[in-house]
Amino acid sequence: MLYRRAGIRHTSYPKERQLWPLPFDRYLVTAVALFLLAAPFLVDRLYLVAYLLPWIIWSMAALGLNLLMGGAGQIHLAYGAVMAIGAYTSVHLVRAGVPFEFALVAAGLMSAAIGMIFGVAALRVKALYLAMSTLAMQYIVDFVISHSPAISGGTQATIQVPPVSFLGIALEGDLPMYYFALAVCVVVTLFMLNVQRTAFGRALAAVREKDYAAEVIGVDTFKYKLLAFWTSSFIGGVVGAVLVVSYLRSVSPDQFHIELSVQIVAMVIVGGLGSVLGSFFGAALILFTPIVLNNLVGALASGLGIAMSADLRAHIPLMLYGAMIVGFLVLEPLGLAKIYDNVRNYFLVWPFRHARR
Amino acid sequence: MDLWLIGELALTGALVGLMYALVAVGIVLVYKTSGVANFAQGAIAMSGGYATWAIAAFLGLPMWVAIPLALVAMFGFGMLVEHAVLRHMVGQPVIMIIMVTFGIEIFLRGFMPGTFGVAVKRLDLGIPQAPMFLGEMLINRAYLVGGAVSAALILAAIVLFNSRAGIVMRAVSDDQGASWSVGIRVERAIAVAWGLAGATATAAGILWGSVQGIDWSLSLLLMKALAIAILGGLDSIPGVLLAGLIVGVCESLATGVIDPLVGGGTRDIVASVIIVLTLLVRPYGLFGREHIERV
Amino acid sequence: MRLDRRTFMAGTAAAGLVGFGKPALAQEKVVKIGMPMDFTRVYTFVTAEYSQGHRDYLTLVNERGGVNGHKIVADITDHANDIPRAIEAYERMKREGAVLIDPLSTPVARALVPRALEDKINMITTLSGRSDAADGTAFPYVMPASPNYWTQAGILIDYFRQQDKDLKGKKIVFVHIDTPFGREPLPILQALAAKLGFTLQTFPYTPPGNDQAAIWPQVRRARPDWVVFWGAGVGQTTALSEAVRNGLPMDRLSSSVWLSESDMEVVGKDAVKGVIKFEACAGGRDPKVIQAILKDVVGKGKGAGPEGKVGTSYYNIGVMMAAIVAEGVRKAFEKAPNGPITGPWLNDGLHAIANFTADGMLPGITVTKEDHQGGGKGRVARWDGGKFVPQTDWFTANQDLVWAEIRKYSAEFKKTGK
Repeated sequence: MLYRRAGIRHTSYPKERQLWPLPFDRYLVTAVALFLLAAPFLVDRLYLVAYLLPWIIWSMAALGLNLLMGGAGQIHLAYGAVMAIGAYTSVHLVRAGVPFEFALVAAGLMSAAIGMIFGVAALRVKALYLAMSTLAMQYIVDFVISHSPAISGGTQATIQVPPVSFLGIALEGDLPMYYFALAVCVVVTLFMLNVQRTAFGRALAAVREKDYAAEVIGVDTFKYKLLAFWTSSFIGGVVGAVLVVSYLRSVSPDQFHIELSVQIVAMVIVGGLGSVLGSFFGAALILFTPIVLNNLVGALASGLGIAMSADLRAHIPLMLYGAMIVGFLVLEPLGLAKIYDNVRNYFLVWPFRHARR
Repeated sequence: MDLWLIGELALTGALVGLMYALVAVGIVLVYKTSGVANFAQGAIAMSGGYATWAIAAFLGLPMWVAIPLALVAMFGFGMLVEHAVLRHMVGQPVIMIIMVTFGIEIFLRGFMPGTFGVAVKRLDLGIPQAPMFLGEMLINRAYLVGGAVSAALILAAIVLFNSRAGIVMRAVSDDQGASWSVGIRVERAIAVAWGLAGATATAAGILWGSVQGIDWSLSLLLMKALAIAILGGLDSIPGVLLAGLIVGVCESLATGVIDPLVGGGTRDIVASVIIVLTLLVRPYGLFGREHIERV
Repeated sequence: MRLDRRTFMAGTAAAGLVGFGKPALAQEKVVKIGMPMDFTRVYTFVTAEYSQGHRDYLTLVNERGGVNGHKIVADITDHANDIPRAIEAYERMKREGAVLIDPLSTPVARALVPRALEDKINMITTLSGRSDAADGTAFPYVMPASPNYWTQAGILIDYFRQQDKDLKGKKIVFVHIDTPFGREPLPILQALAAKLGFTLQTFPYTPPGNDQAAIWPQVRRARPDWVVFWGAGVGQTTALSEAVRNGLPMDRLSSSVWLSESDMEVVGKDAVKGVIKFEACAGGRDPKVIQAILKDVVGKGKGAGPEGKVGTSYYNIGVMMAAIVAEGVRKAFEKAPNGPITGPWLNDGLHAIANFTADGMLPGITVTKEDHQGGGKGRVARWDGGKFVPQTDWFTANQDLVWAEIRKYSAEFKKTGK
């Protein structure tokens, strides 16, 4: 009904190859885009600053990692460290007087250069063994940052982000910061949507499915594995810079520890490996479930006057959160994107289930 | 740098490494039989510590009764986890199963402190704390006991894998389909592996709990255990024993030798670097079986 | 209807439930404060007891009619030491009219500093957060209102000097967790080593500190005259048990403020007899305030937690901070009885706190526009097997060095900040 897919056939290749071949999908994307553009005027400041902004930023990070994990099939447990490199590069460059536009690109390049070194391990080891190797990189980057006063900022280990401007617009106040993050997110999303349709994306898919087989059919796995790490790390570096400039506003080493890396891996997996949409779902679920559950349990406990110990009340959201991750994956191991896809598939030809898709 | 210090650090490190290896054994047991990386092992160790404390505190039982009871309970708990959750994940992508065990970890991290309170619990095994000297070397009794118990349990696991039950488990790890066809009860073998993982984790939780007290931070043992399991080769129990010793000694010596030079705690880094370098030479760990990939 | 569209379209339908079940306090006269804290992650060792003390004191104040007819209402939530969650809690509390935030977490406090300064919301950073926030000229809205780590280190070293008369040629070992928090006292200790002529040897351990097996043999071999161990939670209990097993003399062992009765219990109460620690407020049940809480709050069944925890170190720190906040509110009403109740209004009140002792529980806290540390007084207490017994009067020491360090970093902050 909504999609009116049954019986519609594309009559030209360009039409078939559109990003969103179905009209309904296009409307949906437009509606979401319009909403995000108008959000500062529609929603309360609380939801803009504390929900939409982090959601956009963490989704970008999940997208960047998804290129590597979903696209090329390489596990990476040091994405937080990659983001830290970008964050510190940009902040130090800006403090040295470099315009933020350049600092942003430099953050990406720096992360990409160092991140590619991480990828070298991937040439030799796989799966969990690779996870362990990247974990080592996380520890090393953490250590170097927090033990170099020149990088971390001495005993206090916190550096304020100086006021910056991007393309002539001063990034001050909620609006410019939100739109800046949104703009970068749109670029990253469009890149991710299209990369799967390029030779690069197809080569990565071949590597993901079986790297020996890819080599047999002439894909240079050496080159593409490194390229995957390079690209993913570049995105990570840019996201790190966006994160500190528009959201955290000060940078300290503990913001980028292993917890952040694990959080982003969780977003990618819960959302759905290789799915652009899934990255957004996953980021929302992992970021906001603890908050919402916490507020919910708090409201229920005080509203209904249920007597329980403070410890129990504080930990119930954590239990529910863990149970939810387990529940989601037991019910649908391919992630939230797959759940969305199932619903969409059902409605594609609804109510004519017998029709061809 | 005198030799006594090096000797003492190496010895302490070896004992501590064995205690880490005990956590890692559970990961290997589960991986060996069902091919699942168990990221909940740290939280299960924590739960074991809590269970022991709860049995001793609420039922008023002495430690030597509480510990076997906790081991049995946690054996059952391990089987329950397998039955309730992981059985449903058979045939799913490995990374999803890892994430599920991670969800279990988060759940337990909420459940145990939520139920029993966040305050650190004391678990007294009655190991005397007075220092014991061997020449100029101090032998830390807590670690001596911990290391000895760990080594004994790991050796027992090796022996088990050479018994009939162990052969069944090895068959399952080789090829689940083939095992099925010759009449091996694959589900039961996997359930037993999870039960054993629960029990060894509990032993580790008790030993570590007696050193640091019982609270949620016991679940952080996961990272070190994972590192040891991977260094040893995920499907080798003797590998765990050796990897535990290597990691423990390296970390301990790094703390003594490298820390003063760089002015920071390098323990985790040195251990990780050693593991990465080993993996670059031996991509399947020290004793891990190489997967033969067919196109 | 803005609300409907917002909740629907943001897709966070459940977030709408936040407003649900809120007590109908809006009509009453209240002063709202926000307490987003870490109940489940890193600071579990302190938060539960701190929060219990804090809540009990506020109950005491409110039961007695509040301040100037206003009740002080605390909104307590868990931020799990996670920055996005903390920012969400902060923004929500700000929207609901909170005039003061107490996150009780160093990383969170650091991340919230720019926002609090911009929004003019008072932030209490009890024995945590940025040490340089003691400089009120750079951080007008950030109030440690308690001795920072530099002061704590300075006071401990001065106590050693009092004991040994002269520290020249002595050896002091500093065992610390290898995080910014653990490394913080280093500049002060180094400066003091140069000034007083003792040798300083430092041993960093990797966080969270549950394995310090390789550290303490080295400490033992260094044969120190004094040991200072600096950590929190599990790092402290592990440090103590290792010290015991290595046979170090307990009465030469000292800690920052983060050492509590329950830590001692985990290691074994008698084994650690003699350990000393820094105290920012009186511990135990003797202070009048605690007696009043036992009688009027806990005795009437309104206590916020188990009675056994009343009077523990962290409980009393919670009481201390609640008392300081209540005193700030009182002063604010003295200055401007009709409000309006805003961040700057309370800020004026907090700045008017002078020689406040909470009936003898505190050393006499005085907050000025320049000094947000509150005077930097504390004392040294020794564990006697059952409780911490004060060894000195309230005093402060080495403040010249501490303030040089504070100004160095606050100047840096002023330069790069807005």
